Amino acid sequence: MEQIALTEETDKNLMAAHCRGDSDAFGTIVQRYGPGLLGYLKKMSNENGQAEDFFQETFARVHQKASTFRGPRLKPWLYRIATNIAMDGFRKNSRLKFVSLNRQADSDDANPQESGERVLVDGGPGPSEAAQTAETKEQVQRAIADLPDRQRATLVLAYYQRLSYKQVAEVLGCSVGTVKTHMFRALKSLARRLPDVSGGAA
Amino acid sequence: MKGHPTEDNLIEYRFELAPEDRAREIGEHLADCADCRKRLAGLKNKFSALDLLRDDEGALSDTLLRETLERAAIGSLGRKSPLRPPLWIASAAAILIIGVILLTFQPKKGRHDEFEVAKSPAKPATEMDYRTLDEQAMPVESLKKESIAQEKPQALMSGVTDRMFMDSDSAVALADEIAEKAPFAPASAIELVTLPRRDNVQITIYNSADLTLVRERRDLTLKRGWNWLQFMWAGTLIDPTSLSLEPLAHNSRIDIQQMVYPARLKDIGRWLIRSEVSGQVPFEITYLTSGLSWRAFYMGTLSEDEKTMDLSAYVRVANNSGEDYEDARTRLIVGKVHILDRIAELAQRQYPYGRPEVSGKSGSTKGGWVSKYYWRGDGMPMLGDTLEMGYMDFDGLERKEIKKEGLSEYFLYTIEGTETIPDKWGKRLPSFEAEDVPVDSLYKYDENRWGRQTMRFVAFANDDEHELGETPIPDGTVRIFSQADGDGHLSYVGAAGVKYIPVNEEIELNMGAARLVKVDPVLMAVATENYQFDRQNNVTGWDEVRTWKIEITNARDLGVELEITRDFGTSYWDLTDEPADVDYKKHDAMRARFQLKLGPRTKRSFTYTVRTWHGTRQQDYRR
Repeated sequence: MEQIALTEETDKNLMAAHCRGDSDAFGTIVQRYGPGLLGYLKKMSNENGQAEDFFQETFARVHQKASTFRGPRLKPWLYRIATNIAMDGFRKNSRLKFVSLNRQADSDDANPQESGERVLVDGGPGPSEAAQTAETKEQVQRAIADLPDRQRATLVLAYYQRLSYKQVAEVLGCSVGTVKTHMFRALKSLARRLPDVSGGAA
Repeated sequence: MKGHPTEDNLIEYRFELAPEDRAREIGEHLADCADCRKRLAGLKNKFSALDLLRDDEGALSDTLLRETLERAAIGSLGRKSPLRPPLWIASAAAILIIGVILLTFQPKKGRHDEFEVAKSPAKPATEMDYRTLDEQAMPVESLKKESIAQEKPQALMSGVTDRMFMDSDSAVALADEIAEKAPFAPASAIELVTLPRRDNVQITIYNSADLTLVRERRDLTLKRGWNWLQFMWAGTLIDPTSLSLEPLAHNSRIDIQQMVYPARLKDIGRWLIRSEVSGQVPFEITYLTSGLSWRAFYMGTLSEDEKTMDLSAYVRVANNSGEDYEDARTRLIVGKVHILDRIAELAQRQYPYGRPEVSGKSGSTKGGWVSKYYWRGDGMPMLGDTLEMGYMDFDGLERKEIKKEGLSEYFLYTIEGTETIPDKWGKRLPSFEAEDVPVDSLYKYDENRWGRQTMRFVAFANDDEHELGETPIPDGTVRIFSQADGDGHLSYVGAAGVKYIPVNEEIELNMGAARLVKVDPVLMAVATENYQFDRQNNVTGWDEVRTWKIEITNARDLGVELEITRDFGTSYWDLTDEPADVDYKKHDAMRARFQLKLGPRTKRSFTYTVRTWHGTRQQDYRR
């Protein structure tokens, strides 16, 4: 509780400092919440370029609307903005989708030899295991991507971002009951589609 | 709890979705039931697959961090905020941020994953400068690292950013380093980099074939070597076989090799692109889709004396294509397209793809503001010429062309500016306006066509004399109103569908049955004479003489002009008693036409007598 209270106080102070013109404060906010938010948006959109676009748009809007933040916690407010941007983006985006199958341009891994190949690290899992894991991951990604937008948002916020159902409700602007319904339906869909992972993942 | 929990119950229990009392019941049951515990364990195992993505958090790259801060900062410059810091603080903050980024952004020895720079800064770049604004502001030397020629081929391919700079020397030096054999497209596409949203969209709607040609520009990020580009069209009416891709820069260095449709993957296609350049390259993507249509609507307002009309034209575009079109330049085609007939011919053609260009006559009718273009030149159609479009051959080797010859008329309208037409929306767009178009109001009576109704017509022509004539008028619905009173109120006259009206063509709009103008023919007398007989004394020929009185009533406040057509049922006829004060002419072999004018609120009549020849009497008929 103390930790939460400290975070809330820090969030409020940070936003207040930003509103006063403290540029460091904004950078701190981005650094603090950015990785989690980016991960959320990547799972929501399943396409990195689009996720980064949403990410930038989110913080641009955070900056614009900083003076309207009332606290206490920044995270639900931030995720709410991000979710709205993502939902709007899905509606607007062309359904003729183009994706590059090249390796990500800004990946830190060295030496991608050919398009689409994964780099194998010595001492790691053997080729077949790595390929199997990659295949499974993709199945999971696809299963999540195929969920309706609000179900997907609920799942990612609750499961991956570890928000409580109450916080998810705050982000999505609906009731806890609705959140639970979305979550249940998402899990039901996934139960049909998720591959078997023997031994479980970490 | 009665019975074992269902899978749904277990899901609710596992993820804390169940109400408290039910969760407690399930918990108590699980404590006593090994089978259900095993089922729950199986469920947990299944959902553990979700954890494969748990490590995929978004590590913030320096580029993303910098761009995010810049974007937020740029967004604030034009906005007034009560909390906006003084300019000097903002400047200091910007410098501080850039300084922090530069300090943390140290190139590491042996890594070449940040910037590739010109081997010789003295030589001007022969390609587009892909450096960011920051890089351009810095002296080149400060970014310079080992020369490209000294680097290993693999290192050059490693971790390239999306902004690269290469000069011609570097490109030539590396020309040999692209693998000869293209790799297989990956079965999985885990790391997807979506392409930026479309820019500069143009849609050309061909009503007659429910086809729309979409042209859009996108910047694609290529890496040097082989690139697989995947596209997906699920949920749209796009014809995937019509997709065409063409680079707008570095054409000689980018080769679009082939397009494949992977087995077992639905609504997915892949292009293989061989590129000698790296970085963002603008591409033009063209494809055909369906579900967009347009219709023209016209509204005419007659003047008080009904001698002129103000004409406004609109186009209503309906979008049921499954796609939203935002800020699209919209063009409409009037005419017919017979693409399906030419598919077979398509495969044998070798013509290069042409593009419609803005050319020919542009301008608007009086008061209007729509530009109209003719396609011309380079194999593109002019008015009366053929329609051509680009088409991607499946062999992926050459562009083919769809052509239709022998079209009667073909015209391209462009709606000025851009329009946003979301999916499932319709939108009304103004087309043109013309004021004081001279019109002829005419009433017609023809029992063969309209029975005993008198019909009202409004006639004009699509020519200069009628303040039109700059462009053909596409088919649509015309609604005519007249001035009801002096206060500007309008009364509805009628509506008519119009077909495509070429320039200099006349048009007559049928406004429907007239209420205030009546034509009433009355048969006054019938007689037969001049009988002819055969040897058995049967009648073989005779004349019929009929006298008609035509009564006309005009209850309007305006004078009217009438055209009355009478059909005699035979080509052997003659008027023996022509009406006075009425223009009469033989309309065709069987019909006569009378034309007259009537003043406001008047009634008049005229009579005529017609003799018709029947049977053997026709042999005696002389015109």
